[in-house]
Amino acid sequence: MSVRTAVVLAAGEGTRLRPLTRNRPKPMLPAANRPILEYVFDSLVDAGIERIVAVVGYKRDRVQDHFGPTYRNVPITYVTQDKQLGSGHALLQARSAVSGPILVVNGDGLIDARTVSAVIDHFQTDPETPAVAVLERQDASQYGAVDLRDGDIVSIIEKPNTDEYRLINGGIYAFPETIFDEIEATPRADGELAITDTIARLIEYDRVRAVKSDGMWVDAKYPWDLLAVAREVLARSRASESERDDGVWVADSAQVHEDATLQSPVVVGPDCEVAAGTVLGPNTALGDNVTVGANATVQNSVLDADTRVDAGSTLLDTVTGQNVTLGVQTVVPGGPADVQVGTDVFEDQRLGAVLADRARTRGNVSLSPGTLVGPSATLHSGVHAAGQISEGTEVVR
Amino acid sequence: MCGIIGCVGRDGETLDVLVHGLSKLEYRGYDSAGVALGGNGVSVTKRSGRIERLRDALEDDPVEGSVGIGHTRWSTHGPPTDANAHPHRDCTGDVAVVHNGIIENYQSIRDELVAAGHDFASDTDTEVVPHLVEAALADGADPESALRQAVDRLEGSFAIAAIVAGTAAVFVARNDSPLVLGLDDDATYLASDVPAFRDYTDRVVYLADGEFARLDADDWTVTDETGQRVQKEVDTVSWDAEETGKSGYDHFMLKEIHEQPRALRQCLRGRVDELSGSVDIEDLGDLSPTGVQFVACGTSYHAALYGAQLYRQAGIPAQTFLASEYATAPPPIGDALVVGVTQSGETADTLSALREARHRGARTLAVTNTVGSTAARECDHTLYIRAGPEIGVAASKTFASQLSALNLLALGTAPVGDAREAIAALRDLPGQVQELLDESRAQEVAQLYQDAGAYFFIGRGHQHPVALEGALKMKEITYKHAEGFAAGELKHGPLALVTENTPVFAMVVGDGEQARKTVGNVKEVEARDAPVVAVTDGQTDVDRYADYVLDVPETHPCASAVLANVQLQLVSYHTAKLLGRSIDKPRNLAKSVTVE
Repeated sequence: MSVRTAVVLAAGEGTRLRPLTRNRPKPMLPAANRPILEYVFDSLVDAGIERIVAVVGYKRDRVQDHFGPTYRNVPITYVTQDKQLGSGHALLQARSAVSGPILVVNGDGLIDARTVSAVIDHFQTDPETPAVAVLERQDASQYGAVDLRDGDIVSIIEKPNTDEYRLINGGIYAFPETIFDEIEATPRADGELAITDTIARLIEYDRVRAVKSDGMWVDAKYPWDLLAVAREVLARSRASESERDDGVWVADSAQVHEDATLQSPVVVGPDCEVAAGTVLGPNTALGDNVTVGANATVQNSVLDADTRVDAGSTLLDTVTGQNVTLGVQTVVPGGPADVQVGTDVFEDQRLGAVLADRARTRGNVSLSPGTLVGPSATLHSGVHAAGQISEGTEVVR
Repeated sequence: MCGIIGCVGRDGETLDVLVHGLSKLEYRGYDSAGVALGGNGVSVTKRSGRIERLRDALEDDPVEGSVGIGHTRWSTHGPPTDANAHPHRDCTGDVAVVHNGIIENYQSIRDELVAAGHDFASDTDTEVVPHLVEAALADGADPESALRQAVDRLEGSFAIAAIVAGTAAVFVARNDSPLVLGLDDDATYLASDVPAFRDYTDRVVYLADGEFARLDADDWTVTDETGQRVQKEVDTVSWDAEETGKSGYDHFMLKEIHEQPRALRQCLRGRVDELSGSVDIEDLGDLSPTGVQFVACGTSYHAALYGAQLYRQAGIPAQTFLASEYATAPPPIGDALVVGVTQSGETADTLSALREARHRGARTLAVTNTVGSTAARECDHTLYIRAGPEIGVAASKTFASQLSALNLLALGTAPVGDAREAIAALRDLPGQVQELLDESRAQEVAQLYQDAGAYFFIGRGHQHPVALEGALKMKEITYKHAEGFAAGELKHGPLALVTENTPVFAMVVGDGEQARKTVGNVKEVEARDAPVVAVTDGQTDVDRYADYVLDVPETHPCASAVLANVQLQLVSYHTAKLLGRSIDKPRNLAKSVTVE
C-alpha cells in the first residue's frame, strides 16, 4: 500500500515560546502572516497526501477552529493527546485513526513538499523499512543529530555535546503500520516516549533509511525566532497573498492607503487597514485584520492577527501576539539586547519586544530592547518598560 | 466546496444510499442537492435548499434505479436554483453528470456546443460535460470513451461522475478534486470523502489525478488518460467516519460557536473601511429608508429586534414583527422598507410575510446566509451574512453574523454620522470573541446550575434581544424552561416565578442608565434569593450582587450584544451536554422551517 495518510503531531505547547503560547500551541504561531502548521499542511497536500490525521492536545480548539474539517479539500481527522508524553506517545494516539503505512511529521516547523515527496518515494521502494528525512545543518548539535552509514541511520542523539555531527533528523518519517507495535515495545524514559527513542531501538536490529534533503527546514525555538522565520518565509517568496510589487504581498481584502510606504519584503494579511504616512517593512508581516494608524513605522516585525498600532508608533524587531493594542506613540527602538526568559539570559539577541496576546499599551509608552510583555498586561500612559512583565500586570508610571 | 456520491449494485436501495451519503457530506455544504438514478432511463431529482427538501421531493415522487449519483453544494457565488443544482443532463436526457471543482474553459466549450445546436438549462460550468458526452455518444463512442473524450476537453479541477441510460455502470474522472472508490462484494461506491459510504464498506481505492474509472456492481476498472488499465491498491480503512466534519468537537454546535471569529471576519470582509469610516454593501444601491419593518422568526427574530433598535437610534422609525403574525395581519406599511431576516432564506413564515409586504407594494430586503435562496431571489435587495454552513439546528454563529450584518445595514443606509468608532468595534469583534472562547468560565456556571428548575435572562436595550436569545437557546437544547425579559418588566409579573432554584442571568454592559437600572433589577432578584449570573464588562458594581460573573470585554454599545451572547451560548451548550441532550438535533425541531 502506498502512503496516503499523514499524521501531524501538533499537540505540544512549545514552552520555550512562552508567553506567545498562552492561548495556542506552537504550530499555530505565525510564520510571517500564517500559522506554521498551514505551511506543514501545504507541503503535505502538495506532496499528494490524501488524508491528514492531526494529533492535537494543548489548546487543541485553536487548531481545530483554524482548519476545520478539511484543508485544501483534504479531510482532516483530529485525535487528542490529553497529556503531552512525547512524540511517540502522540503518534500512538493516532493508531485507531489510520491504517496502512503512514507519513509522520512534526507540526511545529516549516518543511518543504520536496522533502516530503522524497521521503515517500524512497519509502515506497521498500515499504517495510522506515525512512526518515535528514538535513545538513551547521548547528546540528542543537537538534536531533544523526549519523549515517550506506544511507542508513546508525546513530541518533538529541543535542549531542559535540560538534562532529553535520546531519539532523528532519522530523519527517515514513513508517509501515508496524511502527505502532515498535513504539509500544519501546521503554519509556521518565514517563515519556519519543519517536526518536523507537528509532534508536530499531537501528539496533533493523534498518532505518535516511533520505537526504536540502529543502526548507525552519524551526522557531524562542519568541524572537519568529522574526527570523518571517525573514526566511519572505526571502523564499512563500507569502500567500497577491504580489503587488516585487516582494510586496498584500491581501485583496486589505486596505493600504496610497500614501503608505511598503518596503520589500513585506506581507499584509486579509482585512488589514494601513493608514497614510505609515512605513511598513522591510521584513515585516501583518496577520489578519491588523490596523496600523497614520505615520507609524513598523520594520523587521511580526504583528499577529487583530493587532492595533495607533498613530505615530515606531516598532522595530517586534513580535506581537493576537489582539495586541499599542496606543499612540508607542516606541520600540529595537535590539540587540540580552533577553531574559525565566532564569536564562540570552545575550545579544536582535529583539525589540515581544507582546503576548491582548497586551496593551495606552500611549506614549516605550519598551527597552528585549522586553517581554505577558498576556493581557497593560502598560499605562508614559510608562517606560524593560525586562519581563507578567500576565495581567498593570504598569503605571 | 461540494460533495459527490455514487453507487452501483444496490438495487431497490440506491436512493437511500445516495441520500444517506449526501447527509454525511453535508459538512461540505448544503445549499442545493440532487440525485440521478439510472438503468434503462435516467431520472433526475434536484432541489435548492437543504437535503431535507430533496428528501421531501423524493418522498412525494420516488425514483428507482440500479445505479445512481448525487451531489450536495455550497455556493459562494451564483444562485443555487433548482436548475443550477446537480446532476446536469444533456439534450436527450440520457446522460447525467455530477461535478466537484471548476471547469475553467467552460465558456468556449459552451459557445461551441450551443452553436452545434445543444440546449443548456443552467448557468453552470458543469453542464458542458453531459453535452460533450452526448456529442461523443452520437459519434458512436461507448459511454466510457465518451467520458474520456469529454474530459479531454476540460481544463481546471474536477471530480466527475456520470451515468448513461442503458448502462448499469458509473463512469468517473478525477483531476485536482478528491475522489475515492468504495468496494463491496456486490456493490461499488464513489464519493468525495470516505464517510459518505463508510457504513457499507471499509475497502477503498483512491484515484489519482488524470485517472478514470468504470464502476459496475461486481467489478471496477481504473484507467489512465490513454485508456491503459492501471493496477490500483485496495486500502482498508479501519477508522470510524462518525466524527468527520465536526473538526474534533463533540458537536457541530460547539464547532460553530468556535467558528464565530472567522464568520465575523467573513461578514465584514471588503465591506468596511475604518480609516475613512465608510461602509460599502453590494446590492443595496442608494437605499435610504424612511421607515423599516423587520419580519423574522426564532433566533432571527431576536436579531431583527436588535436591527430595529439600530435604526431607531439613527432616528428612523423601525419595528420588528413575528413573521407568522405579519403574514396574516400585516400593519400599515407606508413607505417602510420590509426586511426579512432568515438564515436559510427558506423559512416559510418569513417568505410569506415578505410576499404579503411585496403584494402591498413594499420594497423588500433579505438578510440571509444562503446565496440565491428563495428569500434572496424574491426580495428587491439581499444582504448576505456570510457565516458559512451551519449544521447544528440551534443557531449560534449565524446569530452573531446577523447582528454584525445588521450593524452594516444600519451604518450603510441610515444617517448615523461618523461611523469610524462603530466600524472599529465591529472589526475588533473577532479577536474579542476569541478572547471569550479562550477564557470563558461558562462551563463552571453550567455545572453549578444544571439542576435548576428554570432559567431567566434579563437585559435592557441591546441586551434585551440577547436575553431573549439566551433563553431560546437554553430551551432549544436543554429542554428546560427558560424565559428572557426586558429587565424592567421583571417586577411587573415574572418576579413571582423567581426562587432560589431559578438562576437569573443579567446582562450588564457599559455604565450608562440602562446598565445602572439593570443593576437595580439584579438587586430585586438577589433579595428573593435567586442565584444571579452577571454577564458584564465590569463597568458597574453588578459583581457585588452576583453569585457568578461571566466577563465580556469592553466595547462600543453596537458590538456588546455579540459578546454577551457568546457567553450565553456556551452556558446553554455545556448545560445541555451535562444533561446528555441531543444538542445538534434537539427533539421536535428542524433547522429551517419550511412549513407555516
